[in-house]
Amino acid sequence: MKGLTLIEKIIRKHTEASDEDIYPGNIVWVNVDLVTARDYAGPQVIDLFQKHYPGSKTFDSDKIIFTPDCYPYGNDPKHAKDQEKIRVFAKEHQIKVTDLGSGIGSHLLFRRGFSKPGNMVIGADSHYNILGALGILGQGAGDVMLSFAFKTGKSWIKIPETVKIKLEGRYTWPTTSKDLALYVLKELHEHGITGKAVEFSGDIISELSIEDRVTLCSLITEASGMIGFVPADEVTAEYYKQFNINIELLAGDDNANYDSELTINIDNLGLYIACPPHPHNVKPIEDVLGTPINSIIIGSCTNGSADDIHEVAKVLKGSQINPNVRFGIVPATREDFVEINADGDMTVILEAGGNFFGAGCSTCAKGQYGLTGGKTAVTLTTGNRNTQGKIGPADVYLASPAIAAATAIEGKIAIPKVGENK
Amino acid sequence: MRKETIIGKVKLVRVDDIDTDQIFHQSLLTIHNPEEIKPHIFGNLEGFQDFGKEDNSNKILVVGKNFGKGSTRQQAVTGFLAHKIKAIIGESFGPIYYSNAVNAGLLLVEVPEIASFDTDKDDEIEIDINQSVILNKTKYTQITCRKIPQPVLDIMNAGGLLELGEKF
Repeated sequence: MKGLTLIEKIIRKHTEASDEDIYPGNIVWVNVDLVTARDYAGPQVIDLFQKHYPGSKTFDSDKIIFTPDCYPYGNDPKHAKDQEKIRVFAKEHQIKVTDLGSGIGSHLLFRRGFSKPGNMVIGADSHYNILGALGILGQGAGDVMLSFAFKTGKSWIKIPETVKIKLEGRYTWPTTSKDLALYVLKELHEHGITGKAVEFSGDIISELSIEDRVTLCSLITEASGMIGFVPADEVTAEYYKQFNINIELLAGDDNANYDSELTINIDNLGLYIACPPHPHNVKPIEDVLGTPINSIIIGSCTNGSADDIHEVAKVLKGSQINPNVRFGIVPATREDFVEINADGDMTVILEAGGNFFGAGCSTCAKGQYGLTGGKTAVTLTTGNRNTQGKIGPADVYLASPAIAAATAIEGKIAIPKVGENK
Repeated sequence: MRKETIIGKVKLVRVDDIDTDQIFHQSLLTIHNPEEIKPHIFGNLEGFQDFGKEDNSNKILVVGKNFGKGSTRQQAVTGFLAHKIKAIIGESFGPIYYSNAVNAGLLLVEVPEIASFDTDKDDEIEIDINQSVILNKTKYTQITCRKIPQPVLDIMNAGGLLELGEKF
């Protein structure tokens, strides 16, 4: 029998197409487990749904969630009305809303157990593929696909080639999963993964937390890959126990057909930064040490979790943020907010001069934390995109929370050290 | 529509890795009206900021690799439809962009060897969907494109995915 990769197996379980139809490059219709939309796209999805399917019910209101996560409480009339449109439609169709302040939709899907390994989900967020970190086939989709899925429960997918990546070796702090993600992005961009899926393996995987895995998978979009996938394992199974969800540990077949295999040596990996103007322009920190930075943002689906904010507090402890630096933190979810408040790290950061904004997305979609200003606002963010002009006309760098915190103290790109109470 | 060949004049945008923020900037995301989206297309792409104000109707865009990487925003497709762009030919496309375009009825054609295809602006080219060939009728050259998958043609022929959905 033909061997299938893990991703092909998940697609197979969601399609009425036959075994013969499951091969890379082919397009198949799939029945999705969950469809979501946020405050960008969501209102347009509703408009399209009402225009094309007037008076219709959705395919299954229990399989749709609205996750407004881009914009803070009504500081702009257009956004406030768009968000209201979501609430009105959701009420009419009895659809769940994780409303403002709940956090980033993609994170809530695992933090609240809304989706589980082996599921297929689509949402209005190009980083829905971070769900690959939990063995969930998450995909970003546009207004038209989502509106169609609201009506039919279906979507289509181009079956991807899968590249098997073996991560070989270990790293130690101050190197973190963000440095790993950036280094892997650089390697994969050179390898070329446009439209392809990536399946991670290697001894280090079992040592990575769910948050680390999310960070690792979060930059695959930036290499135009379809998804980065960490097959669900004991770590994943343990995570889902909090929701009383038992998961099935799926694996690809031994005789599955992979596009290519690549071993990436991460032994003693250093610190890495994505430099302007593209996320894949990844360089060792040594190349840009001392670059003046006056705007720092901790957040995004890449690095906005409690674990990431703990890293910030670890470095900031006992120090003050440089007065030239504006320092904002946007926790990924309310759960992350609660965690950093409970363990005192929020106080450490506030006392160091940091600022907190409501849980949700950060700069990537110009949401909770908007544009950075003019040509003098050189930014370092833990986010996932630094495309020229995206959040401002000046340069933007991407780095780990630990580097961001060290840079905040110095006012220039710096190597992290553990802070001390003084 | 069910067209087997598509003919148009070339507009060159031979830049690799064009992100959706360079096509339609995130600060404009509450705009959904196609005519309002139109003038902003490529507003953040150096050298092409005037594209939105030009008359590009009936043109075929020739781009580089990895076109449309980045976000899920549908406006980055809608804007080209508002410009009446007939098709976009490129080495490769971001996967979400590809599906957004197909769903809205904008034809994307993948040509792995596009970088070596000798084409100047305003050359007349013809895309032969059945033969998977692109002809440059000005220069009398041709190049092979990837076969356009049948479900994609079905969606395009229905006029878009939402129109197909009306049959469900």
